[in-house]
Amino acid sequence: MDKCKSISKPFSTSCHLDHDVARNPIDETKYRGLIGSLLYLTASRPNIMFVVCMCARFQSAPKESHFNAAKRIMKYLQGTKVVGLWYPGNVSMSLTGYSNSNFVGCKIDRKSTSDTCHLLGSSLISWQCKKQAYVALSTTKAEYIAAGSCCAQTLWLRQQLNDFGILLNKIHILCDNTSAINLRKKIPLCIQEPIILK
Amino acid sequence: MHSRTNHIEIRHHFLREHISNGTCEIKFIGTDLQLADSFTKPLAKDRFNFLLNELGIIDINCPLQ
Repeated sequence: MDKCKSISKPFSTSCHLDHDVARNPIDETKYRGLIGSLLYLTASRPNIMFVVCMCARFQSAPKESHFNAAKRIMKYLQGTKVVGLWYPGNVSMSLTGYSNSNFVGCKIDRKSTSDTCHLLGSSLISWQCKKQAYVALSTTKAEYIAAGSCCAQTLWLRQQLNDFGILLNKIHILCDNTSAINLRKKIPLCIQEPIILK
Repeated sequence: MHSRTNHIEIRHHFLREHISNGTCEIKFIGTDLQLADSFTKPLAKDRFNFLLNELGIIDINCPLQ
């Protein structure tokens, strides 16, 4: 794919992959090889993280549509060879975590995806995109699960920075769901819910 | 019901403990400035590029643009 045309985004805006049983199957080994290389690339290119994780879920019985989505990532990479993470000097040593989730992101089993990223000053140092292990019943819960994994990662980074002599406290975790933030001081919804259901 | 929510309950106490210890603090941020958005959903081109710029994923040959 050296001479392929470049495109501006690694995914189409209506990108929702499913098992796609009706389409032609493609060579599993070839698809897995491609996904393996792309997963390796996510270590330095967070911009393709979301779509690579999406494609990696269909490594058993891949179909033409999954292969096309993976080829689209290659086309995007063709046009972004010079794009990379930039770490400027003289930045403040403040750690901020961002946590987000997409409620029912996976159309197959209705699970949500947790997404967290951590910025030291203004540089991205840690990022994660993971399908949650259990089905969240509301956006609040999906966001709260994401905030939990963000907190776990924050603690690890805090310890790491502590080893380098940078002591941080009250690290901000930024979440875009007010109910999830309020949940930390009220009676948990999980206790209230069975009562409502009776 | 319980088996599913059990995990969330544990998470609740985990997060709550660290907030009361003072190690972490949860703050609200509007969706416009939520930088983790680009890892979540397929976004439109302009929004996608804006978030990448904010995260420091830029053309390394001319970083000051």
